[in-house]
Amino acid sequence: MHELSIASSLVEGVLAFVDRHRVSKVLAVRLAVGELTCVETEQLRFCYTAVTRETAIATATLEIDQVEALVRCSHCAYEGSPKYWDDALSGTAVPTLQCPECGRAAEPTQGHECLIKGIRYVP
Amino acid sequence: MIQIIEAVPEEIYDIELEHSLLEANARLARENRALLDQHGIKAIDFMGAIGSGKTTLIGRMVEKLKDRLGVAVFNGDATTSNDADLIAGQGVPVVQIATVNGCHLDANLVGKALRKVDLDKLELIFIENIGNLICPAEFPLGSRARVVVVSVTEGPYMVRKHPHMFLGAALVVINKIDLAGAMNVSVEDLTRDVHTLKPDIKVIPTSCKTGAGLDEVAAALLHA
Repeated sequence: MHELSIASSLVEGVLAFVDRHRVSKVLAVRLAVGELTCVETEQLRFCYTAVTRETAIATATLEIDQVEALVRCSHCAYEGSPKYWDDALSGTAVPTLQCPECGRAAEPTQGHECLIKGIRYVP
Repeated sequence: MIQIIEAVPEEIYDIELEHSLLEANARLARENRALLDQHGIKAIDFMGAIGSGKTTLIGRMVEKLKDRLGVAVFNGDATTSNDADLIAGQGVPVVQIATVNGCHLDANLVGKALRKVDLDKLELIFIENIGNLICPAEFPLGSRARVVVVSVTEGPYMVRKHPHMFLGAALVVINKIDLAGAMNVSVEDLTRDVHTLKPDIKVIPTSCKTGAGLDEVAAALLHA
């Protein structure tokens, strides 16, 4: 349940923003969660609801944008989506760090994000 | 009677932020790393399921390396000091990190443990993470390399079920290979699964019972 730590960090971040700005009501919090993280968005929503209860942002909706994985291959200079693993037992195909062109190791360039992208509020 | 006032669109502010939720831990991990580098210490973080053999493997590595290098061990364990007691029997400094109900070690806890040992006497610190194959992946600790320990007793689909853990690892140990036949698990298949996720990662099959592969692991850790 690392989602609980992340939800707590999320609430701290938003409340710190509310403290520093003239905010009467937070309407929505927008998150970006990368495909290469193991942050489970449903669990994160559940934790968010629990952690925000009785805070100034209890009614703010949580919008989660998934950020797709991207890699760069130093062997064949490929840049783009990695090879996906269909056989993984996770319901959906899993991004790997394998180059889909040459099959060698590729470096991730995107997909590790876990950030607050934006806050929509009434001043 | 409740009166509701709704903001009209021009009264709504929509601002862009780039506030990382993992940054607090990442910053402490960088501080740990700087402290370790300053003292010329290499830390290695071991992740793996409960019962995969992390403690035993670390114990074997301590046996092999403690006469050559200053070694210490940090044991993450939810509540007990069982693992820490086992390693302390070898006469090296051991810090038990009790996470109480936490499912992973974090850089803050490791930073506290670093203040409990005499860093001037150390060259190598083994950090045993909590037995969990999901949560620790998002929490770097400041180590030089992360090792994932899987064992054949976890079944043939271990890697496929927990792909994320392997993406950030530098070394994978497939442990308890003396039981592969009894478990009807193929070490080659597990190795192939790891290489599907990360083609260049080093995979070493081991048995802490027969000693197979342990010298190779020790050598890999020294070069990590």
